[in-house]
Amino acid sequence: MTQFYGPSRKRYIRQQKQTHGRHPFGVFPAHYPREILWAMNVLPVEIWDPPLEVSHANAHLQPYICSVVKLGLELILQGQCDDLDGFLFPHTCDSIQNLASIVYDYLDIKKPCYFFYHPKAPYRSSSRQYYLEQLQTLASRLEKQLGPLDLSELKQRVQQGERLAYVLRELYTLRARGELCASNTEFYRVIRQGEYLHPDDFLPILEGFLADRKGQADRLCPIILSGILPNPQEILHLLDNLEARVAEDDLLNCSRRLLQPPVAREDPFEALAENYFAMPPCTTKDSPLMERVGFLLQKAAHTDARGVIFCMVKFCEPEFFDLPQMVEELKEKGLASLVVDSELNQGLSGQLATRVEAFLEMIR
Amino acid sequence: MDYFAGIDVGALSTDAVILTAGSEVAAYSIVETGANSTDAAEEALAGVLAEAEIVRSQIKRIVATGYGRVSVPFADKRVTEISCHALGAYHLFPDTGTVIDIGGQDSKVIQVGEGGKVLNFTMNDKCAAGTGRFLEVMANKLQVALDEMGELSLRAGREVPISSVCTVFAESEVVSLVAQNHPTEEIIRGLHRSIVNRVWNMVKAVGVNGGVAMTGGVAKNRGVVALMEEKLGQSVHLHEEPQVVGALGAALLAWRASQSAG
Repeated sequence: MTQFYGPSRKRYIRQQKQTHGRHPFGVFPAHYPREILWAMNVLPVEIWDPPLEVSHANAHLQPYICSVVKLGLELILQGQCDDLDGFLFPHTCDSIQNLASIVYDYLDIKKPCYFFYHPKAPYRSSSRQYYLEQLQTLASRLEKQLGPLDLSELKQRVQQGERLAYVLRELYTLRARGELCASNTEFYRVIRQGEYLHPDDFLPILEGFLADRKGQADRLCPIILSGILPNPQEILHLLDNLEARVAEDDLLNCSRRLLQPPVAREDPFEALAENYFAMPPCTTKDSPLMERVGFLLQKAAHTDARGVIFCMVKFCEPEFFDLPQMVEELKEKGLASLVVDSELNQGLSGQLATRVEAFLEMIR
Repeated sequence: MDYFAGIDVGALSTDAVILTAGSEVAAYSIVETGANSTDAAEEALAGVLAEAEIVRSQIKRIVATGYGRVSVPFADKRVTEISCHALGAYHLFPDTGTVIDIGGQDSKVIQVGEGGKVLNFTMNDKCAAGTGRFLEVMANKLQVALDEMGELSLRAGREVPISSVCTVFAESEVVSLVAQNHPTEEIIRGLHRSIVNRVWNMVKAVGVNGGVAMTGGVAKNRGVVALMEEKLGQSVHLHEEPQVVGALGAALLAWRASQSAG
């Protein structure tokens, strides 16, 4: 069992620095060209939900800012990012944008900060060009710190990213069909390691997991998780205990970033652009609501899932903006949903657990 | 003869119901939950067995519900109180389409379908506003017995509006109103209005469909019920002991399970 888990983040980051001379970068959610970082010997370490108590960050942020941002800032303020050689802030939402400004303009952290802008829907003919320019800009900024980008290395990393996505898609497909023998807790624990493991290490873990767990799974009640990330984490264990299987997800930190089968492109930047625009619809990319509804309904249809649980992080603007209409649309189409709304690291209260349990009793 | 039991371990009270093999209510008991859910469940079961004049070995199946359902080691199955209140209310009042359950630490509105199945629900589970705990705190502050509040509020000629929804702030507001010599009855009526308004938002979210049943301890408060009926524009179904409806639903599930097992 343990062979599917890599070392802890801290140990791994140090190991990577010492053994491979890699530059670990703290990367905030969610969409960014990992392949460019890999090609420049950078280890992207994503910051989603560090297990911390927020205290210092409250002095810099309004009470209505989500806990992804609060915890990320807390991590920096507590001095727990000392091993990192830089930060990358994708333009995901206003809160992360503001966080970037706080860290870069006011905190004097003495580490390079990079910003990455990606086009939001509706996409126009200029969106692709814009994205390509952003990729080039990021690469050339990184070159100033890290030296020239080797295009053949980038090409190789693009292929590696596609291979990773292929294995992940396989895992998702098997799970959707009930042919993956893994609990919900285990599945997400394994795949979320991709948030900090280098693909050279993550890929063999995923391949091993896929080979080992392929097989007819127990027949459990299929459901879909949607939202930013599986939160509270205890919800996965609860679903395991209640004999429910997450048959599909629409989570920002998981399948919403899953690359689709690639279209062959000679130029690696072109390939990255191709991959970006083919990714599933997402609130942080301003995807049209009906596209998201259709996407969820399609997932429900091919897994026989009877319900969607929205794992909401309190004050997450992009997610909450769409939520009421999403719930209504799904209800109209006959798909029940439950909204679980909590801060990160808040745990699963008895009442929240009761709501999940009652929801499953309702849809079974 | 075989019997079936349902035990609802709630925040304030633990209720037990025994059904006969013909799904008739044989007896029920209500005890305070206190500090230990398992002890409360044992006590409620012992009480209901004595009331029904049967022994434990005659109980064929037990279903536990309520927040303390996980602490009933002798239960054969555990089901949420949402499903149990829906089924219990439907069994008592077959035209029930909506259940308003105001319990000790949360309130729920449940949309009920054919056979007592839950079609939709919403819960107030983030604070004490709109729950029995809210009334308990206010009764304490006003120095009146909890079970007298309903009658007192019905006697009020008018009501004092309570602007705070939060239990803590409402308590401060009550202190100010007492200091201004507002009659207790009028303050209580205002408090009841506050609960009803809070729960009404949940009713609107789920929708009213068919008959409405009120369950949970707060449904014993005639003042709250009257204001809810005024808001709904229709009378609500009430059991003589509305807090046992969840235990009844649990007992029915125990009975149903044995029916389907043959």
